[in-house]
Amino acid sequence: MEAAEYLDLLLKALLLAGVYAAMAVGMTVVYGVMKIVNLAHAGFLMLGAYFALEMFQRFHIDPVLGAVLALPAFFLFGMLVHWLLVRWLPKSDTPTLASLLLMFGFWLVLQNIGYAAWGNEDQSILTPLTLSAVHIGDTISIPKVNLVVFAAAVFCMVVLQIVFHRSWFGRSMRALIQNPYAAQIVGVDDQRTSRLTFGLGTAFAGFAGALLGMLYSFSPDFGRPFLLRSFVIIVLGGLESVSGVALGALVLAILETFSTVIPLPWYWHGWKTFYLPPSYQPVVPFALLVVALVIMPKGLAGLFQRKWKAA
Amino acid sequence: MKRPSGISGWLKLVLPWLLLLVLLLLPAAGLSFNLMRLLFLTAVWTTTSLGWNLLGGMTGQVSFGFAVFFGLGAYTTALLMHAGHSPYFGFAGGAAIAMLASFFIGLPTFRLRGPYFVIATIGVTEAVRVIMNNLDITGGASGYRITEDKPFNPLEHYYTAIVAVALAVLVSTIIANSKFGLALRAIKQDQDAAADLGVNPYTTKLWVHAIAAGLTGIAGGIYARRAAFFYPGDVFAFSTGIFILLMPVIGGIGTVWGPVLGGIVFVIVEEQISVNFPNFHLLIYGALLIIIILLEPDGLLGLLRRLFRLLPRQQAKTGLAGDPG
Repeated sequence: MEAAEYLDLLLKALLLAGVYAAMAVGMTVVYGVMKIVNLAHAGFLMLGAYFALEMFQRFHIDPVLGAVLALPAFFLFGMLVHWLLVRWLPKSDTPTLASLLLMFGFWLVLQNIGYAAWGNEDQSILTPLTLSAVHIGDTISIPKVNLVVFAAAVFCMVVLQIVFHRSWFGRSMRALIQNPYAAQIVGVDDQRTSRLTFGLGTAFAGFAGALLGMLYSFSPDFGRPFLLRSFVIIVLGGLESVSGVALGALVLAILETFSTVIPLPWYWHGWKTFYLPPSYQPVVPFALLVVALVIMPKGLAGLFQRKWKAA
Repeated sequence: MKRPSGISGWLKLVLPWLLLLVLLLLPAAGLSFNLMRLLFLTAVWTTTSLGWNLLGGMTGQVSFGFAVFFGLGAYTTALLMHAGHSPYFGFAGGAAIAMLASFFIGLPTFRLRGPYFVIATIGVTEAVRVIMNNLDITGGASGYRITEDKPFNPLEHYYTAIVAVALAVLVSTIIANSKFGLALRAIKQDQDAAADLGVNPYTTKLWVHAIAAGLTGIAGGIYARRAAFFYPGDVFAFSTGIFILLMPVIGGIGTVWGPVLGGIVFVIVEEQISVNFPNFHLLIYGALLIIIILLEPDGLLGLLRRLFRLLPRQQAKTGLAGDPG
């Protein structure tokens, strides 16, 4: 393979990482503040994709705008879900049996609603953007839709960073992530912050789902592979860190993109190399998860922190 | 074991044996083919349900990945039978492979606090299904067929399943009444306190995971032998893992008889749903999970206890508010 082809793949991986980060960040804030592993995230991703599709087909709204519209809609939806279900869960420092099963049950309900409303055939959102590409030289061609989706994802991540570090809501979120008891003592309303956080997490899930729906075809079972990817990303990012998510997303996107084109060494009567068959590519996130858990359970950032502390 | 006291105590001691006796004698009384199939399925699923409950109910470690053990049991049994071994040797082999696989998941994740184990169990189902879909020796996605020289004998399948479920109940009862079971409950309630009192949470979780996986592997083998044909999208499906988790939650988590009740209810409901509401499977199960978690965390058994007050009250505190970290 030529250098230009590698560059082409690297660019595509970078663009993918933006969407991955937007997808995983909602799960991170919910886990950080409430210590809930939000399995319903997969359901919200799926609903986000169908939201953009409905907007596009019924009202002829451009799917990128549809994705942005998904933010407020899913924010309200998330707050409603929190008010109806999540707030009744017992509080804990670690994810409880009850919270896991509740969110899982809700995911099943969402999935079935998807099947009932849209059937089980694959759908996709096709706009003029989808089919045109930007060419640089002979080998590098980036679909325009990837660029637009990346720009939208990065924009929202930046907005989130500003909210997280410059607003009272962001400050109370960070306080709850660091120490929930101390946060309550100094006057953080944890119910209200939890509700807003769950809304925020859901909003980002819906937004990322709409963006992913522009890149891939989807069915009501759409969220499951992305749920696993989100897990891998937040584990790599250190579970509770928003900036860690960006790093984790980048690592996963690069490994996934390059997994089938990099020759892997193996030993059988002498060193040889082989290429991973493309059909095995879905195993890559899981393999990365296992490696991450064994080598660096505190995430990529934790690896550096340990070194700093030792110094 | 404690000496039984009062009528309910004696009932608790006698009823299981009576149930087993009835199940063993039923075929002699003449069973229709379909009823025998239903009882077989109930026994198989209840075995997996009891297995999940050891880890999820007693120890508080939620796993969405038991389909892996079920599928590995099925495939191991099939491959061993293909190699000319007896099916019973195949079941044992299935249990052994499932136990090995459980260590593969448990070793990296049980060391850590936090949600890592749950996350890994979701990942492992996906990964194993992808691998099995592409593996040549098992026929990949097109599935595997078991061929036996003997004619199809529903009675033998029925008795194997009954023996398996009896074994699962026995193992659960022994564990529930042993020091090991006490350690499991201690871990569920407060892992740090348990560790202070001399329980090693890491090895304890590893072993109970292995026992649970072994039971599920046996069930997978028995299921596969009767089904005679199966494929990765069936035995390794994420939904198989969901079913295995649903039954103990429906019946009553953390008890011995809750998962049994859940298994019975599940098979009956599943038969009805697949006939009457084929499109609302997930909705019904999802809603059921939500309702149980929010309103009656002890499941059907807790509900029955509340209705009849048959059993002493303090035992109804199995509770979901454990600490699975």
